[in-house]
Amino acid sequence: MTRELLQDKPPREPAPGKKWIRVTKVVNGIDSEVWEEVDDVQGPEWGPRDKLRLVSRAIPRVDGPEKVTGRAQFSHDVRLPGMLYAKVLRCPRPCAKVRLDLDAARRLKGVVGVVELGVDEVKWLGRPIAAVAAETPELAEDGLRAIVASYEDQPFAVTPARAQVDGAPLVNSKGNLRGLSRNTDTSEVDAALAKAEVKVKGTWRVPVQHHASLETHGIVVDYRGGDEATVYASTQGTFTIPGDAAGRLGLKPNQVTAVVEHMGGGFGSKFGIGIEGQAACLLAKETKRPVHLLFDRASEFHAAGNRSGGEHELEAGVSRAGELTAFKARVTRDGGISDGAGQPQPYIYAPKVAFAEQRCVHTNLDGHRAMRAPGHPQASFAMEGLMDEAAYAIGMDLVEFRKRNLPEGKRELYARQLDKCAELIGWAAHAHRSKWDASNAELKTGIGFGLARWGGGGGKDCRVEVRIASDGSVEVLSGTQDLGTGTRTYCASIVAEELGLELGQVRARIGRSTFGNANPSGGSTTAASLAPAVKHAAWNAKRALFDKLAELLGGEARNFACGGNLIYDATDKTRHIGWKDACAALGPNGLAAQGEWQSHLAANDIGGAQAAKVQVDTTTGEVKVLEMVAVQNCGLVLNELTARSQLNGGMVQALSYGLFEERVVDPDLGLFLNANFEDYKLAGCKDIPKMLAVFEDDPRGVIGMAEAAVIPGHSAIANAVRNACGVRVYEMPLTCDKILNGLIALKKA
Amino acid sequence: MRAFDWIQPKTLDQVLELLPGPRDTKQRDRVKLLAGGQDLLGELKEYLVQPEQVVDLKSLPGLAALEFAADGGITISALVTLAALESSAELRTRSPMIAEAAGSVASVQIRNQGTVGGNLCQRPRCWYYRREQALCIKKGGAECFAYGGLNKYNAILGGGPSYIVHPSDLAPALVAAGASAVIRGKKGERRIELERFFTLPSEGSVLRENVLAPDELLLRVEVPPQTGWRSTYLKFRERSSYDFALSAVALALKLDGGTVREARIVLGGVAPIPWRADKAEAALVGKKIDDASCKQAAELALVGAEALQYNGYKIPLTQALITKALRKLS
Repeated sequence: MTRELLQDKPPREPAPGKKWIRVTKVVNGIDSEVWEEVDDVQGPEWGPRDKLRLVSRAIPRVDGPEKVTGRAQFSHDVRLPGMLYAKVLRCPRPCAKVRLDLDAARRLKGVVGVVELGVDEVKWLGRPIAAVAAETPELAEDGLRAIVASYEDQPFAVTPARAQVDGAPLVNSKGNLRGLSRNTDTSEVDAALAKAEVKVKGTWRVPVQHHASLETHGIVVDYRGGDEATVYASTQGTFTIPGDAAGRLGLKPNQVTAVVEHMGGGFGSKFGIGIEGQAACLLAKETKRPVHLLFDRASEFHAAGNRSGGEHELEAGVSRAGELTAFKARVTRDGGISDGAGQPQPYIYAPKVAFAEQRCVHTNLDGHRAMRAPGHPQASFAMEGLMDEAAYAIGMDLVEFRKRNLPEGKRELYARQLDKCAELIGWAAHAHRSKWDASNAELKTGIGFGLARWGGGGGKDCRVEVRIASDGSVEVLSGTQDLGTGTRTYCASIVAEELGLELGQVRARIGRSTFGNANPSGGSTTAASLAPAVKHAAWNAKRALFDKLAELLGGEARNFACGGNLIYDATDKTRHIGWKDACAALGPNGLAAQGEWQSHLAANDIGGAQAAKVQVDTTTGEVKVLEMVAVQNCGLVLNELTARSQLNGGMVQALSYGLFEERVVDPDLGLFLNANFEDYKLAGCKDIPKMLAVFEDDPRGVIGMAEAAVIPGHSAIANAVRNACGVRVYEMPLTCDKILNGLIALKKA
Repeated sequence: MRAFDWIQPKTLDQVLELLPGPRDTKQRDRVKLLAGGQDLLGELKEYLVQPEQVVDLKSLPGLAALEFAADGGITISALVTLAALESSAELRTRSPMIAEAAGSVASVQIRNQGTVGGNLCQRPRCWYYRREQALCIKKGGAECFAYGGLNKYNAILGGGPSYIVHPSDLAPALVAAGASAVIRGKKGERRIELERFFTLPSEGSVLRENVLAPDELLLRVEVPPQTGWRSTYLKFRERSSYDFALSAVALALKLDGGTVREARIVLGGVAPIPWRADKAEAALVGKKIDDASCKQAAELALVGAEALQYNGYKIPLTQALITKALRKLS
């Protein structure tokens, strides 16, 4: 979507000593790319891949022991002297005028603060409308139930279908169905469709998915009056917190320190303090005591965002030779009260003539937020399904058909990745490459494919400091946050690599807004923004140290090198000094060096392919995913283990999306039926197949590779189900009822 | 949850004293018994019950015994954990079906904590019932919201006026094994066939799923000798890792040279009680297990099944499970 805003070429020739680079900008987790002019200077290099000791190797994360022993402190774990526990009251109706009487709650023993969250008319189910702070979590809940609330129900629509019927209550004053796309001229595509040799069409639907972060949204505010506050936040952006919190506390942003020591997942949903954080700040301001407010699971489901659902009506014309000659899409996004994430069509593949109309439908439910590759998994599900239907319609090999319709400039990349996936999943030996298995077998095996694209580039918003103390200890400091992705680990490993030290000799200190600025983690931009700045800071520290040693030992600093806890003159090996002695020579102040983003150490543009092999039990409708394969280019892999975890995690999350996950709201009662981890089903360990993650050799710099990993897995699974048993499931998740109903329909046909 | 008094009695008599009178149904939820707590805790947190007292049974003596008699009988006391059943090699030999059912419940953590008594007496999982806000017929309201609502997980057999399914995995297996329930009340002990322990919403109170009076609790389950029986429990879950059954089959067969002498088929996840498929059982007697007898049994087992809007798939699914179970034992 936003990528289309980027011009292919820079706006003009670079000024002398300058160059143009593509920079990813992220606002609320939605990324776009812009051109920026930067200094064209030589700096540090990652160096030849085979010479790297730590970077790109398989390094267990440095905070692993802390996490598995429970010592790691998440915001949920923060306990402060005099701290109050707070809970929010959710509006139980999808649309209602609300009146609250807080007196009884205020009078309850143990309740210390009660605040209204300033809404007279609620437009979405579960919106927090009041909050209570009390001495214990249980008392806070008693306080909530003591609030006397009266709800004057208004007509509502909580499903896209109900929102579109004649006379549906208006969710949005501008209308429930809003066509946001301007281009409505379909004459060209209609003509191409009319001429098509073969036509295929279908309507694909994806449900609303939840981020399901294990740590729910919320903060702990340490404010006891006065002019300073500390906010412990479960966030994807350390620096998105102080300004937000200061506004509610009546302080200035620089009077608020954000701390994000560890956080338990965000997937795009955690920027800023949110309604829950605002409530915590208001309570802290009122009570002048620290307040702990982290959502319970039900609130998390109701009011912490979600991945938009969507409906994709697709129609395509295809030649018997295997070319997509025409493509027409109408996409209806389901984003609750918000507009929903753009779901770009045609996704990746390149029909000769394409037309796509985008619109959104509003319901009285929580608005969407960015979620790992916003819009792409939805678009992929429909487009990859259409690709298979088109291939089946002309009897062509499913991989071959894809290869014939790849976008200009990406043909070689995707063809290579598809071939690799096909090889690893056993495509050549598979009996059903251009038609599905129509036999009477009880257990059937099928294979499916899908492609992914993402930007994942970095930007200039990180400032990193490396400190070398006279006792030889090294610290790297950045305000950045580790979402569990291994940020802390590569901060340490990059510095250790550059200084010739072991990993354990460098301590990474992150997650504090008093450290150097860092970008929020959205759009897979953290690694590509931060890692170059870390490298630069380490390189600057090394140069400063060498300058100092040259004064001490003689020789020229530029000839110095380090390795194995030793610093030496490469032109004269007799001139050397051990690391500890070198640091001692720095004197009591040690040294500190800053680093900033280096464009040449980062890159962007990710492509990937995935394949899935499934077994369908045609008597029960059970889908068992046997194997998944992901092939992706990633630039420089910073840590083989965490990179593999990103690809595996992407496959797991996509599998869960494809087979299980779905928000269920009763359309008549306006009741969220599965706002818990029993009924909102996430894949567990027994549902996970054998997974193979392959990184392609890629000479480029660091690229964020997390989002592409989640895009095509469920599409490949849905296609594999169709390949196995002939049932095309047009609506996720692929549960056994849909498979069984599909098999019965096939038998009748 | 609402605050309550926590009581830890030392003897069964002390527990019985705390309970309301046998006909005092209005006081039933004033006192709740806690064994493993895996079901009760969810009910408390959602305010489905708001007891004044919660009585911890875990410290009572003699309620956690799993005993194997010389004649082949098995006694399972109410506080035996599901994990203990699952891991008992002796049980797996005597009645694979019961051990398999225990092992199919929820997750390892829940099986370590959850008890046999709690599993058999657990309340329904219907997502309307489980939301405090939905005052459904199971909670004294007028309507079963699932009937005309989102009923993918609800009953196809024995439904009305409530369409819950009984969530227990152990119940179908124990009923298929011909087990009895030993119940203790203020007036003493009584014994009832486990099959008659569970009640349809149209028979007993729609607010309840079993015959326990307000003053009663389940003490133990007694399983007669299973000598000569082969058995298995097949459970179909949407999610393999932990989930309640969409449908399940407890099957026990006495075979004589490949010919069925006796059969027990009890279905789980499809009816408000463990559903005995007696017509299918009868039809199998005297037959060999082959395609024709499987097909006939599967069809007879679902006679009378009525699909709601979204749960019709349970009919072919259950038929498939019955066929698989029969083939597995033949």
